Amino acid sequence: MSARVHRIGLYGGLALILLIVIFPFWWMVDTSLKHPVDIFGGVTLYPHNPTGDNYSRLFDTYHFGSYLVNSIVVVTISVVVSMTLGTLAAYSLARFPLRFGLNQSALVASLIVRMIPGILLVIPLYITLARWGLLNTRLGLILIYTGLNTSFVIWMMQSFIAEIPRDIEEAAMVDGDSRLSALWRVVIPLAAPGLAATAIFSVIATYNDFLIALSLTSTPKAQTVPVGVSTLIGKIQIEFGPMAAAGVIGAIPIIIFALLVQRHFVRGLTLGAVK
Amino acid sequence: MAETATVQPRRARRVRLPAGPYLLLLPAAVALAGVSLYPLFYGVRASVTRYLYGRDYGYTGLDNYRHAFDDPFFRDALWTTAKFVVCTVTIETLLGLGLALLVSRELRFSGPIRVGLILPMTIAPVVVGVMWRLIYDSGVGVTDPLFQALGLSAPEMLSHNGTAFIAVVVVDVWEWTPLIFLILLAGLQSLPQEPLEAALVDGAGRVRLFFDHTLPLLTPVLLVAIVLRTIDSIGTFDQIYVLTKGGPGTATRLVSIHAYNTAFLFTQYGMAAAMLLAVLAAVALLMVVAVRMMRRAAR
Repeated sequence: MSARVHRIGLYGGLALILLIVIFPFWWMVDTSLKHPVDIFGGVTLYPHNPTGDNYSRLFDTYHFGSYLVNSIVVVTISVVVSMTLGTLAAYSLARFPLRFGLNQSALVASLIVRMIPGILLVIPLYITLARWGLLNTRLGLILIYTGLNTSFVIWMMQSFIAEIPRDIEEAAMVDGDSRLSALWRVVIPLAAPGLAATAIFSVIATYNDFLIALSLTSTPKAQTVPVGVSTLIGKIQIEFGPMAAAGVIGAIPIIIFALLVQRHFVRGLTLGAVK
Repeated sequence: MAETATVQPRRARRVRLPAGPYLLLLPAAVALAGVSLYPLFYGVRASVTRYLYGRDYGYTGLDNYRHAFDDPFFRDALWTTAKFVVCTVTIETLLGLGLALLVSRELRFSGPIRVGLILPMTIAPVVVGVMWRLIYDSGVGVTDPLFQALGLSAPEMLSHNGTAFIAVVVVDVWEWTPLIFLILLAGLQSLPQEPLEAALVDGAGRVRLFFDHTLPLLTPVLLVAIVLRTIDSIGTFDQIYVLTKGGPGTATRLVSIHAYNTAFLFTQYGMAAAMLLAVLAAVALLMVVAVRMMRRAAR
């Protein structure tokens, strides 16, 4: 009897917690599907006259087309480049005894770069990009995200590659492969799960970034989705419908990603501190 | 003959490319330096430079630092940040630990439950800000009607100093408790089971078991979680920018918001850089601690 009460309490408690976690999402989706009259018409837990107006207005009047394109271009290029640079470096750190204690210090350096709060970097980066004429360009954002992401890739991939036994690639090299072709044909396929997890995490972190994009861009020419979302708030009168719709659009790609990679979550989010 | 004998091994070594590993490292090193060392160097330079309307007026020594610490708004922002960090990290740690203990047992639906609990920290903090803006708002929100339904007066969360601060703490707790939960869950699941079982056989109660065995074993992981979260919490910007922009008044103006305004609204880059470097000193200390603990935990 008491065990049963215990059980009910446990699942009841968990259900309540999940409700608290999920409700803000639902409320945003709910608001995004309502007409303005209904948004101000008191709390209703689902849209009684659902409408897609808020979404179409995002694309007609609020430049969400360009924000999405900018985000996709910037995220894709910076993640691909940083994955390449970071994986090569991680391979070097995982496989060769380097001088000057580089194996350790380079790893620590990449961890530290990853941990520096963005606000500390943004002002110098702003001044630097201004000098090079790269403010409000996708290229400027790409360069910065590539650098920041590379640190994350090195840290993650080093631990994934270190777990792959050396014998396999050495066997390939005995068979006549060069170092690089052994890396490409043997190590990379074996590290594929790690690569996928790292890439998806890099996508999430880059797509979600707000502060850097906010500071370094100023028009829909280069602004990304999170900045676009925030432009709907600065107005004197907030347009709640489009704002909610913008939030939904900002969240959906990432929720899908998150569901795809949930198993790798701990490792990515905690920088591999706990495996 | 003697000559070829000495040349041969050297050539063989050269074929193995002693520089190869360093070449692989080079592009990444350049990219990293470009977004960390270079800006840091530049930031230090900016912090000893006088700017007027965004223009560089040369070296001013430590004036920016002096002005920053004389500025009551900066000191106020430091204090607000300290309060914010202590409140959020404490609550998140306690809740995260509780949740991890709850979910670490054999449960039905543990997969979906975990996914649900993880969601808040995956979406953009800006979107989190939007969500809670929609909840707190007095015109379209949920909190005011909820309080009224309970017979209480509408709190108008974002309009008063005290409630606005609570509001941003709640948002942070909602978003980041899952991180601590996840780290601790992984930690709990990797604990050695034998000592726990031995203690159970010896007749230790649940509470005893937790304080005598689980908690000490979990401490390294717990500390990693706390330090990582503290570093992040100090840099909190996005949600606050969307929810309150630091207001009402200065109630939620964290150092990050204050420095951002100083730099981008008032174009006082030097002052802002000085403020942030002062904060970085504190963060750096935490980062050293974090790196030490993470390397130990990884082993």
